[in-house]
Amino acid sequence: MKVKFFALLRDITGVKETTNFSGTTLVELLEQIANHYGKEMSNWLFTPTGPDEEKKLGKDVIILVNGRAIEHLAGLATPLKEDDEVAIFPRLAGG
Amino acid sequence: MYGWVGYILRVNLTDGTIKKEALDPVEAKNYIGARGLGTRLWIKECDPLIDPLSPENNLIFMTGPLTGTLATNAGRYNVICKAPLTGAMAASNSGGYWGPELKYAGYDGIIFEGKAEKPVYLWIKDDQVELRSAEHIWGKDVNETTDTLKEETDFDARVACIGPAGENLVKFACIINDYTRAAGRSGVGAVMGSKNLKAVVVRGTGAVKVADPDNFYAALSKARKMVAEHPVTGQGLPAYGTEILINILDQSGGLPVNNFRDSGTFPNADATSGETLAKTYLVRNKGCMGCSIGCGRIVNVPDGPYKGFGEGPEYEAGWSFGADCGVDDLAAIIKANNYCNELGMDPITLGSTIACAFELFEIGAITEKETGFPLGFGNAAAMVELSRQAAYREGFGNEIAEGSYRLASKYGHPELSMTCKKQEMAAYDPRVLQGMGLNYATNNRGGCHVRGYMTSPEILGIPEKLDNLATEGKAGWTKTFQDLTAAVDSSGICLFLTFAIGAPELSEQMTAATGIDFTVEELLKAGERIWNMERLFNITNGFTKKDDTLPPRMLKEPVKVGPAKGNVNRLEEMLPEYYKLRGWDEEGRPTPEKLKELGLQ
Repeated sequence: MKVKFFALLRDITGVKETTNFSGTTLVELLEQIANHYGKEMSNWLFTPTGPDEEKKLGKDVIILVNGRAIEHLAGLATPLKEDDEVAIFPRLAGG
Repeated sequence: MYGWVGYILRVNLTDGTIKKEALDPVEAKNYIGARGLGTRLWIKECDPLIDPLSPENNLIFMTGPLTGTLATNAGRYNVICKAPLTGAMAASNSGGYWGPELKYAGYDGIIFEGKAEKPVYLWIKDDQVELRSAEHIWGKDVNETTDTLKEETDFDARVACIGPAGENLVKFACIINDYTRAAGRSGVGAVMGSKNLKAVVVRGTGAVKVADPDNFYAALSKARKMVAEHPVTGQGLPAYGTEILINILDQSGGLPVNNFRDSGTFPNADATSGETLAKTYLVRNKGCMGCSIGCGRIVNVPDGPYKGFGEGPEYEAGWSFGADCGVDDLAAIIKANNYCNELGMDPITLGSTIACAFELFEIGAITEKETGFPLGFGNAAAMVELSRQAAYREGFGNEIAEGSYRLASKYGHPELSMTCKKQEMAAYDPRVLQGMGLNYATNNRGGCHVRGYMTSPEILGIPEKLDNLATEGKAGWTKTFQDLTAAVDSSGICLFLTFAIGAPELSEQMTAATGIDFTVEELLKAGERIWNMERLFNITNGFTKKDDTLPPRMLKEPVKVGPAKGNVNRLEEMLPEYYKLRGWDEEGRPTPEKLKELGLQ
């Protein structure tokens, strides 16, 4: 599946998009991404929790699956398919 | 008075008289300042039915009680008049340093009446105020005008002026201060031009007193910390500017494309994004007075046909000259935006009007016979040339200078004007952001995003994430955003702060600065009062429920592609509830009870 990175996250990844990661749910995908890019990325993607606690989404990250914000899907449990497109942004604004 | 300086200048351009008048403290408390107080002063003194380009249309420059203080990002002022683009009330908001300087000179605002016989500018140095000839700078652009006036007055003076567009009565001409900050929308620059007023130059050596310095310092320190630590105002906006929004709106399907005809996704959006700007033409960022964000972009295109330094683009200009015109050449977008800064035009209306012309050309409603050269989506060179022509009313630019409503109507297709109340909508497709659609439709100055920025909850998740495709609850959110924004606009601080701070932090700063207990409830009530006052002005001018609508394309033509494919705006699901929450009748008129509650009867 295609994963796209934007704004400050591109400074961490060095790429705009990749097909190197996959998962059957969003949380699986994000864990792979966090493991690959390390602590700085993990801090964006997840709120710190204890080792046995359930993963919680980072408070300053915006994630779209096929253009829909995951708040209106199933959050971290959103199921993913191979042809899905996931876009990951740091919290941003303007106007 | 504290916060407010307590005086306004009244300048009659017809007879050349200048008076210093005391500010009414009761009016100041009820309408705060800037947008609210300026509108109140206009309505008290002017006939609402006048021609906007007549001498009877007072032109008011007004600051807020926080302007020029150490409050967070308090560099704002507003220009108020009846708008030539819309016939509604214009209150256009600008940053920079000009507003604070006016207060340091000892004035909260200036009321310009009448019309000068020949071009003039006003020179204010504290208590010395004089009208001077501007014949030698008439026709000059903003940069030349500003340089010349600083040379002949004081290098530390601040200049607000019009460029050729204002002189030529372009319907969407701006007033530009500090070279690149604009009172941008609705054509306030054309009103200034109609008065033969080229510039207002200010140097002030005084200060603004606050009522409770200790609590004021505590309040602003708390707010500044929140702004610095928030990812939007502390990281994203400084690094990428407002153009950072291009990609998230595109990915969400909400970036309007080709005059909103092909919305859903813009294939090369990233080429016009804040990320790309930062890696290509950005020299450094820049802020207004007292700003810790610095969203402004100083840019340099090093070579090619669009070579040169400039400032911007903001997101709206990046979209209007970019995706809305089908253009993905960032250098061309910068060039068109530079024309807006240098010649004094609103890039939202300009870009959207060019996009309308492109569509008119593609359907054959206009041809090369009218335009002089081929038009069409993706034609960057035509977009840039029409931008220049519009300011001078040269060639087909004379048609562009009227805005898209008059252009599209003239050639038989008013439905191709992407306007509400004759003002162009901004860079958020209301079929994809349902609440933004309600805001556009009900906005007192027409298609305007900043006076009810529903993008914040609908796309950005601030303060919480709402479903952009749903209509439930949007009426209440829109009303709250509109009322709070009216209070923020009137206070003198930058609206961008509200990504990081809220009404409680504004309340603390306002109370400590003015010595008046501006509770959160009082602020929202003042905002609601201002909104209803503007509404009453519009009603007097013949606006009715039928004007609270969107272009037919937004209501009837579904989005063709992307994640929001198939959607139209469902305004009819939101508007009745909005009227009800506002305390208006079914025709959208404030009820006597609501007017009494707000002190507007």
